[in-house]
Amino acid sequence: MTDTGATAELGAEDRAPELVPLNAIFATDFVQILVPVTTANTMAEVAAAVAYHVEGKRVRALPYGKVVIYRGERMPADMTVAAAGIRPLDHVTVEYDIPEQS
Amino acid sequence: MALLKREEWQGFVRDVDWTYRYVEDEAVFPEWHSGTGKVPREAWQAWEESYKVSYPEYVATQREKEAAVYAVKAALQRSSAFDGLSEGWKSATKMHFGGVALVEYAAVLAELKMARFGLNGSWRNMATFGQLDELRHAAVTTFFGHEFVGKDAQYDWTQKTFHTNDWVAISLRNLFDAMMNSANVVDIAIELPLTFETGFTNLQFVALAADALASGDVNFANMISSIQTDEARHSQQGGPTLEILVEHDPVRAQWVVDKAFWGSARAFSALTGPAMDYYTPLEHRKQSYREFMEEWIIDQFVHTIEQYGLKKPWYWDEFMRGLDIWHHGLHMGLWFWRPTLWWRPIAAVSQDERAWLVEKYPNWEKVYGDKWDVIIDNVNSNNIEATLPETLPWLCATCHLPSCNATQSRNGTWRVRDIALEYDGRNYHFCTNACRQIFWKDRDNVNHETVVDRFLAGQIQPMDVGGILGYMGLTPEVMGDDPDYEAWTRDYAGRPAQGIATAAKS
Repeated sequence: MTDTGATAELGAEDRAPELVPLNAIFATDFVQILVPVTTANTMAEVAAAVAYHVEGKRVRALPYGKVVIYRGERMPADMTVAAAGIRPLDHVTVEYDIPEQS
Repeated sequence: MALLKREEWQGFVRDVDWTYRYVEDEAVFPEWHSGTGKVPREAWQAWEESYKVSYPEYVATQREKEAAVYAVKAALQRSSAFDGLSEGWKSATKMHFGGVALVEYAAVLAELKMARFGLNGSWRNMATFGQLDELRHAAVTTFFGHEFVGKDAQYDWTQKTFHTNDWVAISLRNLFDAMMNSANVVDIAIELPLTFETGFTNLQFVALAADALASGDVNFANMISSIQTDEARHSQQGGPTLEILVEHDPVRAQWVVDKAFWGSARAFSALTGPAMDYYTPLEHRKQSYREFMEEWIIDQFVHTIEQYGLKKPWYWDEFMRGLDIWHHGLHMGLWFWRPTLWWRPIAAVSQDERAWLVEKYPNWEKVYGDKWDVIIDNVNSNNIEATLPETLPWLCATCHLPSCNATQSRNGTWRVRDIALEYDGRNYHFCTNACRQIFWKDRDNVNHETVVDRFLAGQIQPMDVGGILGYMGLTPEVMGDDPDYEAWTRDYAGRPAQGIATAAKS
């Protein structure tokens, strides 16, 4: 991103992390839940935060990585909440990243 | 002096309308209370109830009912019947007492509003009896629940529930404030007596009475059957009101019926659904919730509205699909968030109980079985901690119940999907499409904030599970827990369990 210097507002990456409460659903769970994350969290951390409340508790844990789906798109694991443009009260789905059957 | 025959007086004694000479009609029947809308004022002269009753008749009948219901109570009070009831059934009654006692009182206010602002003297007369009925219902329900406080502190929530910020209480207040207290009397007559009372109270009062008798709770059956006998009379206010409204404003009539039916269906799926399909002991279940809904609610409701020239609501397919889903998801939610309840929810998913569920709901295993299995394996691994909540379920912005309604994908899998709406700079989430649609149409109304909204706004402190339970008014001696984990997990003991949470080291 190119900073034109036209405004004095700091970019998300330069500000203190801000709370981003999310509406989240983990895989095949039966209910949406409230999961607070911050603008500085990566997608891997978001996936873990959502999974914490469900995995092995209502949905059987699977030996795969997890991916955050936001607005129908798979988000890269190292992308932050701020960079992904995820806002407070947005919805995310966390899915197991199951490799395609060969 | 010769007395007049009944048919000679029953018409004019109810005709207490006159033409106002000192004030405008609008001053006596202001639009925001009386709500005539597009209906010409004179059209209400045709309002007539089919079953007429005089005050002496009313008092004589009610006196008999009261004497009977309290006589049975007094006799049973000396027996040990209560001690023999199952925990599941006791939970069904605790839900009922807490969820219903003060709704009956809210109904007093609704009837009083119609008794004052109803647009015909006969209507106001009937509403006067109606408010006396509801006062009796509030009193009898509160009194019957109070009897058990000494035996079980959770019964204290008979009176307490509606004064707390428990999420169930907020959900019910949200529904009934709109249906009974903030609406005008035309809408009240259609929402409360017609849709709610002739439609849904049958479910709670007839179905639950049958389950109560089967479960050995004669006192509870006695109480709710006595209450139900009043409904038939005062629920008459709905029919004549709807008839006149349909003639002059069918669009409004359809909307008011649709909205009230949906709100009632959501609330009953939370209260009556788990009580019928889980809390009532298996051997005492008469019908499944779905079967009862189909026989007693759906056929009757569709017949009634078609009789008045209305159509099935726009959400009908979504509602019918929900009969296999809503209350099962809510039951799991109530159980998992059990510390937020004033009853002891039993999971009721032993092998026999699951076989019954699958017989009644063929998709049950596919949608819920895997989740219950993980919970069961955690219980059998002595990891109860993994079965307790550490965050809030997301609560629908319209019905305030958890967003837990799975729908089937084209590939056959069942998933809970996000149903959202951006409005006025905010992102709202809903449990169903119809809840979103109702929110959108009613968006200018003042809506209650859900517990999630309150939590995020910092109204709940400290911002943790303890803070949330304190905010809801739950105290340790009342907080819900499963009364008998072993009852529904022993069938599965010893089976291999993979992929479950690891118990924290103490």
